[in-house]
Amino acid sequence: MRRRRALMPLALLAPGLVWLLVFYAIPVVTQLWVSLQTGNADDGFAQTWHWGIYPDVVSEYEDQLWRSLGYAASATVLCLIIAFPLSYFIAFKAGRWKNLFLLLVILPFFTSLIVRTVAWQTLLTDDGWVVHTMIDVGLLPENGRLLATRTAVIAGITYNFLPFMVLPLYASLERLDRRLIEAATDLYSSRWSAFRRVTLPLAGPGIFAGVLLTFIPALGDYINAQLLGSSQQYMIGNVIQGQYLVVRDYPTAAALSFVLMVVILVFIGGAAKLVGGRTLREATA
Amino acid sequence: MRTTGDRVRDITIRVWAIAAVIFLFVPIFVVILFSFNDNQGRFNFTWQGFTLRHWEHPFAVEGLGEALTNSLVIAALTTVIAVVFGTLMALALVRHRFRGRGATSALVFLPLATPEVVLGAALLGWFLTISVSTGFVTILIAHVMFTLGFVVVTVRARLEGMDLHIEEAAQDLGAGAITTLRKVTLPMIAPGVASAGLLAFAISIDDFVVTNFNAGQTITFPLFVYGASRQGVPPQVNVLATALLVIVIALMFVVLAFQRRAARADAAVAPEPA
Amino acid sequence: MSREEPLDQFFERMVEGEPISRRAVLQRMAAAGVVLGGASSFLAACGGVSGTSKKTTDTAAVAAVNHPKAAIGTMVFSNWPLYIDRKVIPPWQKANDAKLKYIEDINDNDEFFAKVRQQLEAGESIDRDLVALTDWMAGRWIELGYVEPVDKRNVPNRVNLQDSLAHPPFDKNRDFTLPWQAGITAIGYNPKKTGREIKSVADLFDPAFKGRVSMFTEWRDSAGLVLLGDGKDPTTASADDYKAAIDKIDQENKKGQIRRFTGNDYTKDLAAGNLWACVAWSGDLVQLKADNPDLQFVVPQEGGMSWSDNMMIPQKAKTPYGAETFMNYVYEPEVAATIAAYVNYFCPVKGAREILAKKDPELAEDPLIFPDDAVLKQLHPYPSLGSTAERELTAQMAQVTGA
Repeated sequence: MRRRRALMPLALLAPGLVWLLVFYAIPVVTQLWVSLQTGNADDGFAQTWHWGIYPDVVSEYEDQLWRSLGYAASATVLCLIIAFPLSYFIAFKAGRWKNLFLLLVILPFFTSLIVRTVAWQTLLTDDGWVVHTMIDVGLLPENGRLLATRTAVIAGITYNFLPFMVLPLYASLERLDRRLIEAATDLYSSRWSAFRRVTLPLAGPGIFAGVLLTFIPALGDYINAQLLGSSQQYMIGNVIQGQYLVVRDYPTAAALSFVLMVVILVFIGGAAKLVGGRTLREATA
Repeated sequence: MRTTGDRVRDITIRVWAIAAVIFLFVPIFVVILFSFNDNQGRFNFTWQGFTLRHWEHPFAVEGLGEALTNSLVIAALTTVIAVVFGTLMALALVRHRFRGRGATSALVFLPLATPEVVLGAALLGWFLTISVSTGFVTILIAHVMFTLGFVVVTVRARLEGMDLHIEEAAQDLGAGAITTLRKVTLPMIAPGVASAGLLAFAISIDDFVVTNFNAGQTITFPLFVYGASRQGVPPQVNVLATALLVIVIALMFVVLAFQRRAARADAAVAPEPA
Repeated sequence: MSREEPLDQFFERMVEGEPISRRAVLQRMAAAGVVLGGASSFLAACGGVSGTSKKTTDTAAVAAVNHPKAAIGTMVFSNWPLYIDRKVIPPWQKANDAKLKYIEDINDNDEFFAKVRQQLEAGESIDRDLVALTDWMAGRWIELGYVEPVDKRNVPNRVNLQDSLAHPPFDKNRDFTLPWQAGITAIGYNPKKTGREIKSVADLFDPAFKGRVSMFTEWRDSAGLVLLGDGKDPTTASADDYKAAIDKIDQENKKGQIRRFTGNDYTKDLAAGNLWACVAWSGDLVQLKADNPDLQFVVPQEGGMSWSDNMMIPQKAKTPYGAETFMNYVYEPEVAATIAAYVNYFCPVKGAREILAKKDPELAEDPLIFPDDAVLKQLHPYPSLGSTAERELTAQMAQVTGA
């Protein structure tokens, strides 16, 4: 009887766990193995334990790494600024329209990412009314453009990951006990103080989850840079894709992938420390 | 006591929220609008007049119908597999204590923390190494792999919010483990499972990067659009994308109606405490 | 914090934020890594990511090739997008009681090669009976032995091949290939935007066009034109010459002169007015001009590049006979004329021009589809620099284009 109960979790876990081990864990670790090889696609690769590839690759693609961090951070901050009032509205002020708004937020997801980004290409084209309006208003110089600039790429990333910020924020705001906020309002002199000292910290798990779910994919994105930017805006994702599919320098591609993953894990670790263990558990629950 | 400050604040938030939603829909409007564009040449980015002809022949473009079918089938299969496996995993993680629980949790979470370009490249490298040729099956494998985490996280959230006592009560009344699961637990987590399923479906149908690396000869809808976008996206793509949206909206209304009916039924049975 | 601590408790503590010694973490990671790494390295040894082995073309095999007539079933043809008039497919299917599966999955030679490389190396079939790859990639496949020789008895129409394309350096007797379409790389531009005519490669670097110019990610096209602009012959130039040319492109890019590096997606930006002058392919411009007559294609006074996409039968194809009947079919002047009218590239088939002259005289006169000797003299084929040098140049160009 006890053995059956002990086996129960294993039986429940087995299919999913095996899937993740075989199709996630092992491939990713294999990449580490590949990154230490030397050679080229024509003559073959040999395992040389060439750990030196890591500093090489980091210094060679330093620009793209910093750029990716910068773009992803900017997009994440923008997402947070745009999403917070929206999530607050849906959680507290939307009443019976709550589900409708949630649906509206997730709906664009059902058109393909490429379709949406190509639509942005159409919107932001040099001869389009968006650019013309911005030139008229003075936001852009006379011969200015939006496509193939950093602005377009960051805007594209922000747009495409906005729902990932809205939904976790909403989830955590919605779970808040209104009475806490009421009590805070009674106790603090201004609603802003109440918001800052009570609502905002309580929304911590949501902010944390939203930032993670936005920053991490944004860091590795390459579609927005490819469709809306030029080579000057290319991110580390573009490099990995190019190294893998065009240059076929698999060790470099694998090494860059690992560097990216390490950066992300460091970021998660740092953010978790900042936010505290309990918030982390609540956020990922 | 509502001050003018309150009123201003409320209006600002309302306006901001609506503006944000409009922002989310701007490219969607463009997509829908240009499905009616009477374009003469290959390109579809300047408005040349209104026409319904693309709607009359949505599958006129070679390969588009097949690509969309592939995407839908893969998304459906992915959803079923990921929801089943993921729900089981969530049950195990929440209801049982066992060795390696933390590690399993971490393993489930990691794919969500891995950039798609790394996932796609690693998986392709792996398939190449074990000499598996890429195609429909490898796309399916990849999709299940990265949706599992979303399902587990979503169902887990629902499970953890659940009252354990009801399950205990059921077992006290004589229900076995499986019966409890079937008649008590699963119905109670059904909304969580449903939203996990919807999420998995949406992620699968939209995926480009990982699919691009692992698709072989198979073309999915996003891959088709990407290939076409280099030349000029045909309006039929806009038509199908719009149609897909409409279908999803319709489905959502159905689900919402069911939820409202269920909520009313619950309320009728167990009145809320005063 | 010893190794005996259960892993889940360890993770929970880490999550709680309790201080954990680096050593403990490394120990854990190492333990996990060894297990997984060991498994995968074992399997890696089994599968192996070995290099493309060097096989040599077997002249005896070429002479002995024999693809007897047999039932075809489904013939699979991988090609570039927008490269065929699908009208021509049903007659072939009916005449040969077969089905054609036509896949437009070649967007870039390197990308396609990366897709099928592993199976080719392993000596396996790539599930295609016919592919169309550009000269230099075709040459590499032939060199590496990835291509079946063509049984010329099944392709009598090959005599219709244009003389100028009959003996390319990478396949002197056309034992393995037959051109699908050929093309010219030169400059496409919009005179309304540039405000003037474009006559020379140097015009691409005119500061007045800053941010409105594009070049190909493919170095053979882009650097080749730059070399022409510097007065060098791209076919015979050295690898160092090409390195210098790519450096020059890098400088112009950093100055902001070049807006984007593209594949065939420059067409959209050129038509939209985002790009004013591009390194372009002839067929694209013919098609674009149909929508937008303002656009012009010009072979600069220094010259342009010429290339062809070649039909080849990959190793272990299921129905080489089927592939050959299709090759033969598209070399019928009637069929070639139909394809040329749609695709608008440089038609490799003799006799197509006369047929087209009756249906669409304007197209028949188009020097981009049926170039005369004067145009041909200005064109230069791609160089052949050896796989090591070419790989380095590809990597260098990838650096420049940000990939």
